[in-house]
Amino acid sequence: MIRFSYLKKAAMVLFVLLIFPVVSVQADDFARLRKDSVRISTITADFVQKKSMKILSKPLVSEGKFYYAAPDSIRWEYSKPLKSVVISNKGSTKRYISSGGKMVEDETGGAQVMKLVLGDVAGWMNGRFDSNPSFTAVLKEGPITLITLTPVDKRMAGIVEKIEITISRKDASVKSVRIVESAAAETRIDFLNAVINKGINPSVFQDVE
Amino acid sequence: MKGLFFLLGTFLLVSCAVLPAIHEPSSERAGKSITCPSPFLLEKTRLIHAIEVRMAGKPKTALIGVTLVDPVSRTFSCAMMSTEGMVLFEASSGSDGVKVVRALPPFDTTAFANNMMDDIELIFLTPVGLLTRKGVFTEGETVCRRHKEQGGWVDVLAGRDGHIQIRRYSEFGALQRTVKLDGNARNAYAVIELQAIDFVNYTLIMTLIESEVVGDIPAAQK
Repeated sequence: MIRFSYLKKAAMVLFVLLIFPVVSVQADDFARLRKDSVRISTITADFVQKKSMKILSKPLVSEGKFYYAAPDSIRWEYSKPLKSVVISNKGSTKRYISSGGKMVEDETGGAQVMKLVLGDVAGWMNGRFDSNPSFTAVLKEGPITLITLTPVDKRMAGIVEKIEITISRKDASVKSVRIVESAAAETRIDFLNAVINKGINPSVFQDVE
Repeated sequence: MKGLFFLLGTFLLVSCAVLPAIHEPSSERAGKSITCPSPFLLEKTRLIHAIEVRMAGKPKTALIGVTLVDPVSRTFSCAMMSTEGMVLFEASSGSDGVKVVRALPPFDTTAFANNMMDDIELIFLTPVGLLTRKGVFTEGETVCRRHKEQGGWVDVLAGRDGHIQIRRYSEFGALQRTVKLDGNARNAYAVIELQAIDFVNYTLIMTLIESEVVGDIPAAQK
């Protein structure tokens, strides 16, 4: 039997984590990133997602398009291998799947979980990497800027071990996100062909087609 | 009270269900031996499917399913993930039973894991059990019926168009699962439709993304 409030528990765990105290370090560096990110009003980028896990002989590659408009509008659109779109705009998040050549709304709890996730993603685009108290944020400067987010709550073990985000030194935009679920499973998303501060038609955050 | 009558009626309906009758082949086909349809995997294979979940005929969500099946040892493992890459369920099944690696709600029940593993076995592995009958259905499909050791029946039938169906019934003949394979000669598992008649009825439409035969690494190289 399948019930479709899936991921609710994961969402609840994330929610519970919000009550934990903020553990942030290198406040000055994060403040600088926030300041640099203020200049970003829109981002359009292609993305390539590579899912690795023990059952797969090689990563499962997904592709799509990412749109962001400050402060918190996001369109996360997968074109391969499975078409789906998540749109978060003005506090509302909806997920759509392809069925019979049409995009139809996902009627499970998946959209609400994505609302939480995209809230974090929008924060990253704004340079707010250390604003989610559920994670300890550590910033490492080098040829690339690497931010590592580690869940504060040990109950997240097996769901998310850590999240690594790399930032472009040139324009402070996010270059890649690596979500490590366990030693044997991770998801890596690389953003390519990013275009910063070019106008995006508002319909991108309203119409699914 | 109405609910009680409904439950009683459903119980009677289910308990009195009978298996569809299998007939002797018609005179034009008489004399020809019936070959049991067998679309099942012969080699260790990894399959990745896009899965559309439907309830009451309406699409509800879409997932990606990965299945690694070894028909020789009759062992398999599977993972189900969201488009965004979040693994919702991962488990394996072998001689030591079902082992769940990861299960997020609502996929974290024993019943879900067992049902999922039973469905994978039904779809990809040659049914085990005593072959009790070969013949044809009224519509002309060739059918072979097996009785499972642990109870229940499995029919594997091939239509005149070559498409194959697998049906699982309870011990008392109530239809529980119908699997339609709309694939081609190259890959019977290109499109799989699984209809489940359960406490909640649902349909899974599985469209193949990729499949590969998996060669085991020799022990010396492991």
